[in-house]
Amino acid sequence: MGIALLLKMQRLKDLEKRTEGLNASLEEMDEQAKLIIRTDIELNKTQEELDKKITGLSTLQKLSRQMSTTLEEKQIFKKIGNEYLEDLGFEKSSAFLWDALAREFHQYLSIGYSEEDALKIKNAVNSDKDYYLDLMHGSKTASSVFVPQGFLPKDKVCRLFQVNEFIICPITPQEGNQGFIFVGTQNIETRITEGEREIITILANQIGQALDNARLFEKTWRSQQELEMKVEERTRQLSEALEKVKIISKRKSDFISSVSHELRTPLTSIKGYAAILLAGKLGAVPDEIKERLGKINRHSDELVHMVNDLLDIARIESGKVNMNIESADLSAIVEKVADLLSEQLKTKNISFNMRIPEDCRKVMADRSQIERVFINLLGNALKFTPEKGAISVNATCLNKMVQVDLTDTGFGIPEEAQEKIFDEFYRVDNTINQEVKGTGLGLTLVKHIIEAHRGKIWVKSKIGEGSTFSFTLNCA
Amino acid sequence: MNVSFGFSQTKDHIRAANEAVGEAIIGLSGIPVDLAIIFTTIEFTHPLVLKTANNLLGEIPILGCSTLGIMTAEGIFKHGFAILLISLSRQMFFNVAAVKDVNKKTSLLAGRELGEKLLYGCKNVRRNLSIIFSDGLITDATNLINGLQENLGRSFPLVGASASDNFIFQKTFQYFNKELLTESCCGVLFGGGINFGHGIKHGWKPLGKIRCVTNSHGNLIKEIDGRAAVKLYEDYLAKDALELSRELRRISIFYPIGIYLPGEREYLLRNIISIKDDGSLITQGDIPQNSKIRLMIGTKDSCLEAAGRACEDAKKNLLGQKAKFVMIFDSASRFSLLGRQYVRELEIIKEAFGEDIPLIGIYTYGEQAPLKSLNYLGRSYCHSQSINVLAVGGQ
Repeated sequence: MGIALLLKMQRLKDLEKRTEGLNASLEEMDEQAKLIIRTDIELNKTQEELDKKITGLSTLQKLSRQMSTTLEEKQIFKKIGNEYLEDLGFEKSSAFLWDALAREFHQYLSIGYSEEDALKIKNAVNSDKDYYLDLMHGSKTASSVFVPQGFLPKDKVCRLFQVNEFIICPITPQEGNQGFIFVGTQNIETRITEGEREIITILANQIGQALDNARLFEKTWRSQQELEMKVEERTRQLSEALEKVKIISKRKSDFISSVSHELRTPLTSIKGYAAILLAGKLGAVPDEIKERLGKINRHSDELVHMVNDLLDIARIESGKVNMNIESADLSAIVEKVADLLSEQLKTKNISFNMRIPEDCRKVMADRSQIERVFINLLGNALKFTPEKGAISVNATCLNKMVQVDLTDTGFGIPEEAQEKIFDEFYRVDNTINQEVKGTGLGLTLVKHIIEAHRGKIWVKSKIGEGSTFSFTLNCA
Repeated sequence: MNVSFGFSQTKDHIRAANEAVGEAIIGLSGIPVDLAIIFTTIEFTHPLVLKTANNLLGEIPILGCSTLGIMTAEGIFKHGFAILLISLSRQMFFNVAAVKDVNKKTSLLAGRELGEKLLYGCKNVRRNLSIIFSDGLITDATNLINGLQENLGRSFPLVGASASDNFIFQKTFQYFNKELLTESCCGVLFGGGINFGHGIKHGWKPLGKIRCVTNSHGNLIKEIDGRAAVKLYEDYLAKDALELSRELRRISIFYPIGIYLPGEREYLLRNIISIKDDGSLITQGDIPQNSKIRLMIGTKDSCLEAAGRACEDAKKNLLGQKAKFVMIFDSASRFSLLGRQYVRELEIIKEAFGEDIPLIGIYTYGEQAPLKSLNYLGRSYCHSQSINVLAVGGQ
């Protein structure tokens, strides 16, 4: 009996020991459970924060895209819709911009409030404007978690905006009126996190940038409007001036044409009578008179030439000359003109070279008019090239255009004269021009003819080295 | 049985009601409507909204409640008006009723009153199912159910949802015919052989030692293991009472108290609503004295997996019949816990019942349903953090 009792006691002791062991294990497991829960809390917190950040950033991206589509201040705030605000975890929002002139805050956004409540909030914000201005100027963010020193108490803000949790963040564009945005929630489960504060700060910065863009656009737009008005006014003035110039130019052409016609008739008579007298048809003419009559005849010829040139220029300018533009052989034209001038070339012992490749030969031109161009240009080259000099005509073809270069080894044209050389009655001031008479209309006529062919003409020259007159014609 | 669904998100509340009700009526193609169930988010809780629906529906009984979000086959919406129109076969019958001023009358008496009203005219017929919508801020929801079942009996399941607002916990609304109610409970009693399947799950797992509630009354836990109840959380979370008083409501979504129920695989969860100065905990739903409890831990994955299991249970109980519609009462805490993954829960439901299933669901501040275990058959409990799936298959 005693042994049985002892054995039972022993078993009880063993069981007690085992129970103690189990309890110790249970306590250890419970401690482990505590660790698991504490770690889990941290993980959940991080996860929650991460979720909020991901949702917040994705919402900010959408909002940013929306805000960038508008360049009007009020529209920027209208882009912050209910849905975006909810995605950011809030259902109430209000935004204000400070009007420095009126010294009051204007409300630009109100979500989650009736009109009456929004007005109440606006009035209260303006009553406490110094607190909000201080927040704004100090670029401080206030929230239900952290209220900066000197700002309104948390409870007062919560009561005014009817929320449990909130963030107020300054909107600080670089230029113009600054302000602040308020976001809040009535959700008592929500606690403002650092992540949410950052997201709303980014939102406020985005609004600031959007305001800057809008203001810059407004400024640029106004400047552009002013500029456009100025350009319009100037264009109108220029158009009027152009019209006047056209009228004057037409009058000039008409005048030249009319005067030239009027001059040509008496000139023909003068020349005719001089010829009759010279021929002795009205009796013998003494040598002295003959010599004077010869001068009359020669000067009349020059005058006729000048009048003809003037008439041609006037006609081309007024479009009265019908250019008979057709496929023409450039080589043939040059050869013909060279042939005409061959005697003078020989006299001055000037060599003449022509290099017109096969593919440049056919041009679209009024043959007779282009002949006049070559006569004028080659004539000038002959006039200004000293004996034993050289004159060459080269042609090159590029982009369906033929460029003709007429080069001489003459005296060259001073740089300042090169721009004016195609002007009417302009003559380069040199000894040859002083000796050899000219009308000063040749190159003007040449320019008009080339332009009537839709070509261009220009000159390159260097004193003592000669000149190159170049012009273009369309390939046939 | 025929059902039709209508939903609108239009910001103009009256227009939204018109659109949703119109859509649902058209969907029934002229079949007479017997019952309308309306769920709206909090901004649609206006008498005129209900009046609009009532004008369009005529004398058809209306039941419903407010919620922080509406679940439909198309998605989960934080703003909207949803309506489910039900046309029952001749062999089925139903009765609707509501009880007001629950807090003033006490939950038990209010429950009894509602039970009595629901039974009116149905005492001699076979009853199948009761669905109730109660104010989510009623402090003693357990006694409301107890009172209700005292009169209705426990021979058939009672499932329900506690209305929610948008996490403000200020006011929730119940809809009963033309009336927009608060601090009330409305419900419907079906009879005549309605075929349905039901499943309720949460997905939280026990952690740590088993504890004993040594002093409690209703939903107030004074002591656990002979110590102030708050010590449980102070120990596990390493936070003092002051810190906990600020955060415990939110934290207890992740770590609620689980009541051990013999024979049940899942624990019955209780969220903490607040901490009293003496360290007592106020829970959502009662905790009987001497209950064996444990701290619970849940993850998003376990939550979603539980949703799948609740759907499977509901499907199984349909006995092979295809569901005509599915009604979901999903805990607001799960919505909060799942965060960006809340849509995944809807996907799981649709995977279980098919993409084209007519589906209507709400987020609730409490779910009522019987437990699965045979030991508890007949009695309905207040659940927290659970997904309550009701699949109705017809007759």
